Amino acid sequence: MTEKPTCSCGANEPKRIIFPCAGQANVGQLTNLAAIQLTEEGYGSIACASLLAIGSEGLVTNAKNVDEVVILDGCPMLCAKKIAEAQGVPVGQHLVMTELGITKGPSKSYTNDDIEKIVAACWKGEGRMKKAAIPDKKAGGKDGGCGCGCGGTC
Amino acid sequence: MTKIEILGTGCAKCKRLFANAEQAVNELKITAEIVKVDDLIEIVERGVMLPPALFINGEVRAEGRIPDVNEIKKMLTE
Repeated sequence: MTEKPTCSCGANEPKRIIFPCAGQANVGQLTNLAAIQLTEEGYGSIACASLLAIGSEGLVTNAKNVDEVVILDGCPMLCAKKIAEAQGVPVGQHLVMTELGITKGPSKSYTNDDIEKIVAACWKGEGRMKKAAIPDKKAGGKDGGCGCGCGGTC
Repeated sequence: MTKIEILGTGCAKCKRLFANAEQAVNELKITAEIVKVDDLIEIVERGVMLPPALFINGEVRAEGRIPDVNEIKKMLTE
């Protein structure tokens, strides 16, 4: 049976906070745009990963009390996820843009399809279906450089 | 055959719910009819006050929120 609706404004959706990594590369900037669209569609509320990183008491408390924390990372460095974990915030859904088939590169260009791909993956709960790969620090990533998979362009 | 109905007037959330239902059916490799119901009078007559709603074989399974693919798969295999 379905749960009983509480009101008629769509507030039945679980309460979520979305942390985009907002990195400087194209994939980082895409996390920001996707988080904004998800907020506009009522999926959750975008919040600042940098504010979380400095341990803002209010934000940490909020993030621990919501139904789900959604982390959008641009690349396998997983900065936003590491920030959340460092603050003891449980991650409910985690998506990495490069794992969604978006290539990290020096160009800042993106398409609306890129944003749609990320937003749709969130709504589908793809970040809950599979665990994101944690890069092997000792190996320094597959390209042997900084470990973020950029091939030295970041 | 399983009948899945998405009741909603066509907003972004209705489209997401439809896409999730489609993916759940595809992943389960089952045959199901997926129908969009966007007629407001029918939506209200069926008791939905908080669209979008998901009906499976005539029974309301979610209302006012979007179950993800895994949750819909569970509903379909119960």
